Amino acid sequence: MNPYLGTCALFLAASALVVLPLVPGLWELHRKSDAAALSVIQQHAGEIRYFADSFRGYIKSLEPLLNECGRSGRMVGGTMMDGTDYVVLGGRGEALRLPASPKDQDFQVLIASAGDLLVPSQTAFSKDLYARGRFLGGTDNTYRAILGERDIRLGDRSSVLRWVHAVGDFHAGTDCRLYGRVSSEHAIRLGAGCRFSRLHAPSIEIGEAPRVDSPWLRNRPSPAAEEHGARVLHEGNFEIPAGLFERSVVVRGQLHIRAGARVYGNVKSWKDAVLEPGVWIKGSLISARNLVIGANCRIHGPAIAERQMLVAPGTQFGEARHLTTVSAPKIEVAEGVRIFGSLWAREHGQAGIRS
Amino acid sequence: MIYLLYFIVALICVYTLRHYWFTLNRLFGFQRHPYIDIDAADWPPVTVLVAAHNEEKVIANILAALMTVKYPEDKMLVVPVNDRSTDGTRTIINEFVQRFPGRIRPFHRTGGKGGKAAALKDAMELVETEIILIFDADYIPGAGLIRQLTAPFFDPEVGGVMGRVVPINVGANLLTRLLDLERAGGYQVDQQARMNLRLVPQHGGTVAGVRRSALREIGGWNDNSLTEDTDLTYRLLLYGWKMVYQNRSECYEEVPETWQVRRKQIMRWAKGHNQAMVTYGLHLLFGRHRATLRERIDGVLLLGVYIMAPVTLLGWMLALAVFYQGIAPLHGIVALLSLTAYAAIGNLAAFFEIAAAVKLDGNRQRICLLPFLVLGFTVSILSVSQAAVAQLKDALTGAEFHWDKTERFRKVAS
Repeated sequence: MNPYLGTCALFLAASALVVLPLVPGLWELHRKSDAAALSVIQQHAGEIRYFADSFRGYIKSLEPLLNECGRSGRMVGGTMMDGTDYVVLGGRGEALRLPASPKDQDFQVLIASAGDLLVPSQTAFSKDLYARGRFLGGTDNTYRAILGERDIRLGDRSSVLRWVHAVGDFHAGTDCRLYGRVSSEHAIRLGAGCRFSRLHAPSIEIGEAPRVDSPWLRNRPSPAAEEHGARVLHEGNFEIPAGLFERSVVVRGQLHIRAGARVYGNVKSWKDAVLEPGVWIKGSLISARNLVIGANCRIHGPAIAERQMLVAPGTQFGEARHLTTVSAPKIEVAEGVRIFGSLWAREHGQAGIRS
Repeated sequence: MIYLLYFIVALICVYTLRHYWFTLNRLFGFQRHPYIDIDAADWPPVTVLVAAHNEEKVIANILAALMTVKYPEDKMLVVPVNDRSTDGTRTIINEFVQRFPGRIRPFHRTGGKGGKAAALKDAMELVETEIILIFDADYIPGAGLIRQLTAPFFDPEVGGVMGRVVPINVGANLLTRLLDLERAGGYQVDQQARMNLRLVPQHGGTVAGVRRSALREIGGWNDNSLTEDTDLTYRLLLYGWKMVYQNRSECYEEVPETWQVRRKQIMRWAKGHNQAMVTYGLHLLFGRHRATLRERIDGVLLLGVYIMAPVTLLGWMLALAVFYQGIAPLHGIVALLSLTAYAAIGNLAAFFEIAAAVKLDGNRQRICLLPFLVLGFTVSILSVSQAAVAQLKDALTGAEFHWDKTERFRKVAS
């Protein structure tokens, strides 16, 4: 073999080996098939009503039909642009009772009602539901998503797989499973045994929750807006005694707040934090582990636990004019708890536990 | 010589393990986002500082975006820090002040020390709020970003917060595509892993925030620092304040589109980082302060990331020297093999990290560009080494640092 030819062959083979891993990259550089900026959630970041608003836009094309059916009382079926089947129900003032399911108690059509809507029990709805009036669900139902322009009431043991939004009140009976987002413009009330993940409303009640005013809290500005020149950094465990405590505190151990303590400041613990009954905190309450909140506590600012949170009856988070957020991967909330704002359980939320 | 080489190899191995640890944590570990759920609260007043030096191409975009964010209008004041601009920046800012009365208070700086830290330091006279957010002028914040960056400050331990930076001009050329990959690895994996593991997330100086009382406690902005963000990170750490990284608080930025601009940018970062390493390194590791043991170790490793470039180059030269001089057992073959192994496995750690970031972001085809990162790494390693040598020379001759502003590529906003 000609040595020059061999050298050339070796050079070409080596070059091919070098270039080969670059070929897909060169092709991608030429085609630019994945060259767009990462799509970051910009305009609806954190907006709990996002799905509800999107759905409202989606069914906007049904508005004339809803108006017409509302006047005539007719029931009309059809198909949306994307191929989804729908049924529009009309009625003259009276509540609309959904007819029995066509097959195996499973409605596979989008249902839009021009007025109040009553749905039967033990039924699955695999498409979204819309009610211009009140929505009254039977027991043991499974819903994909519900948008109600007035109140929504779910029967006992119902499940919602994606989201619910009520312009009026939202009420879930006992032992419901609320897997996605649940929001209301007015109030949410969960019965005992309900499981939840993300709730937002001006007022969230677990069972019957007494509303308690705390005038001394209202008279003072939020500590988040102030400077924390008096921040206490404490190594090891720390206890806040009963009485007035006017500092923000960071505890690098366990935190114990005695019954009746009035804390004016933000509180953080690296380990578990335990609040005895009747503790009031004007600022935020944060634990890098577990948070155990006793009965009849008042927490003005956000309450965050990085692992688990247990809340006893009578406790109130936030105020009507100052909403707040309660968040932890796992939350167990007793009956009689009220939250003004958001309640988030990323992994498991349980309402109505016994204290 | 051989022991120095072994030391370098050991250092490189530590960084390699660190890369793998972070990536595996991001892929399989527990992810910490403790404050991202805070969507309802009694929001505190905030001041948003927008650092601008000759930013007529981009300043209108960020001011317009800030005027539409979801934050109580009466609790947010925007302060454009116009640092000695000689272009149309002042005019554009003043137009916005007239359009949005009471919501923008401009700070027009006409003299004084150069650099972002010095400008921010002077602008503090207009800041009355406890929470301060900072953006560079080429960033475009989304509607929920101000709330997301403010939320961690409800934790009294948090002194600073950092959001994620996402390149917007990805498709411009090969460089921007490589920088997009590097940024993804740096934020999606590196920063979030440090947040997960309670280590030291780094303040980036933009898409970021700082608590005023914390800033006051640590002595304010350090206008002698070349990278005020790194300096801030370490001073907060030493005083017991935590830095929080919020991976879901994303903001678009414009990355350099020419290699020359990229080289200048990374050289400035390297010099600033090395300066912080000299200033805080030993004290962080051995001093009496508030940082935990894991923060001390990670903090020192983070300080050393830029000096590792010249150290790696030195290692390669030493390996060749011991091999040809035969001054080590087996003619230095062990050392040479160690470095070669690093070249294969160690570099794979960085590639693995970036590939994981691409996967976590849900992207697909851009992963094909991974082999081209060798080019980016080569430019970086040479630029950073050059910066380290220049810095050493400057230190010996007492030369002053010249501030190089990163050039913008966007067209002038209408």
